Amino acid sequence: MTTNRMQGVIRLHMKDKMNWLVTPWIVVLCSFAVNLVISQFMEADLYTGGVASLYIYMLVIGIVTLTHTFPFAIGFNVRRKDYFWGTLVAAGGASLYSAVILTLLSYVEYDLTDGWGSGLNFFHLPYLSDGSLFVQLVVSFLLILNLFYTGFFITGIFKRFGRAGLFTFAIALLILGTVFSFIMTQQEWWVNVIDWFNAHTMFEFTLWTLPVTVVFMLLSYAMLRRATA
Amino acid sequence: MSTIVKVDRLTKSYKDIDAVKDVSFTLEENKIYGMLGRNGAGKTTIMHLLTAQIFPTGGDIQVFGEAPYENDRVLSRICFIKESQKYPTTFAVRDVLEVAAGLFPKWDREFAYSLVEDFRLPLKRKMTKLSRGMLSAVGIIVGLASRAPLTIFDEPYLGLDAVARSLFYDRLLEDYAEHPRTIVLSTHLIDEVSRMLEHVILIDGGKLLLDEEAEQLQGRAYTVVGSSSKVESFAAGKRVLARESMGGLTTVTVMGGAGSDDRKQALTLGLEMAPVTLQQLVVHLTGGKPEHKEAKAQ
Repeated sequence: MTTNRMQGVIRLHMKDKMNWLVTPWIVVLCSFAVNLVISQFMEADLYTGGVASLYIYMLVIGIVTLTHTFPFAIGFNVRRKDYFWGTLVAAGGASLYSAVILTLLSYVEYDLTDGWGSGLNFFHLPYLSDGSLFVQLVVSFLLILNLFYTGFFITGIFKRFGRAGLFTFAIALLILGTVFSFIMTQQEWWVNVIDWFNAHTMFEFTLWTLPVTVVFMLLSYAMLRRATA
Repeated sequence: MSTIVKVDRLTKSYKDIDAVKDVSFTLEENKIYGMLGRNGAGKTTIMHLLTAQIFPTGGDIQVFGEAPYENDRVLSRICFIKESQKYPTTFAVRDVLEVAAGLFPKWDREFAYSLVEDFRLPLKRKMTKLSRGMLSAVGIIVGLASRAPLTIFDEPYLGLDAVARSLFYDRLLEDYAEHPRTIVLSTHLIDEVSRMLEHVILIDGGKLLLDEEAEQLQGRAYTVVGSSSKVESFAAGKRVLARESMGGLTTVTVMGGAGSDDRKQALTLGLEMAPVTLQQLVVHLTGGKPEHKEAKAQ
């Protein structure tokens, strides 16, 4: 019976294929089309970060999902636990789906068409897309999942602690960020950060986001357990 | 009959107010309950507590013998339909029904779609585009088709016309006869549902005012009508809940069962006696100023 209800939550999310699977790609492909046209008129290769729209979209989905579906699910007597796991499966599936398409398009762009015949670097970018196709797939997947749970975590704070809680969190983050960057500048540590990135591959960096993602997941779960629709 | 809900000294406090205070009651299997009371009395809060959608400040809740919080054995057997239920904005009526089918183990698909036809609901229309009455109808369909052993309807028919409401009562009774379950009905339209209710729980100001079989409630009070002077002499020394005068006629509602002495007295005075309806009783019991309520309830 337990798995049954978790499947019910997955089904709930999959009723919304538009938001999870279609809309993000409409956004990305629009950006791609614009860049493709521009690249026709350029002599040099065009490097663009248009693909970031997909990642940002998943952050937004993470933020929105909880407000959209949590009150509904709780109202239909779903356990908070089943909601969490069902959402995890749905988000994991959607992340994998987009990561696979990203990787395929990167392959077509870089290996097959040499920048869509017009020197456009949209899906395959230096440093970010280094490594085998499998590595690229893992990188995209983990980044998308990380952004989803960043958004999910933010709304989780709102659900659990309300407007005031989210406000407090935002201010705390702002202060910490300011202090952090001040110290970094003061101690001239920014160079070290750049060195770190140069010494590590994108893949290694992405693996470091995994523990962050897991922490966001665990904190979201802990907050949902005490959240009231 | 076995007890399926046991609420013991349940309390829910917010910063400045006790929404529910020291409420204890039990619900038995396969009965229709009316949970009645004024707006803000605490009925909805109690129902949210029963389904662990909010958390109690004090007291104990057992549903199907266990605590409901994060307990799928309990939660999957309850269907709680409330007026304020939120739906995902992208959902159409059909989506809600299909998701409900996956969440309620005893869901009857055929029954659900026959109800959709009864209520003339457009399956493909988005929930956000439904009228208030149609939105209520979706809730009613989910509540009925879920066949949950404990089905709770909280103000289920806001915006529904009289035809749709009687359709709801008919389908509810028909399906209840074939698939007995425990039903809790909370509503302001007490007269309409009073014939269905087997047991009444009356909540006022967060407290339990009455917890009685509907039949017994019939004898809790009666009205007497007649010329003012005669009615007044009859009412002397009795607990009068309400008094209404029009011209030379007075109607009083008297608390307590009418004994044979009372009947004789009324007869000799030429007064007309009638049992008070459930709705009148509830209005009398909960209509006064806050200080009066408790005194009346004694």
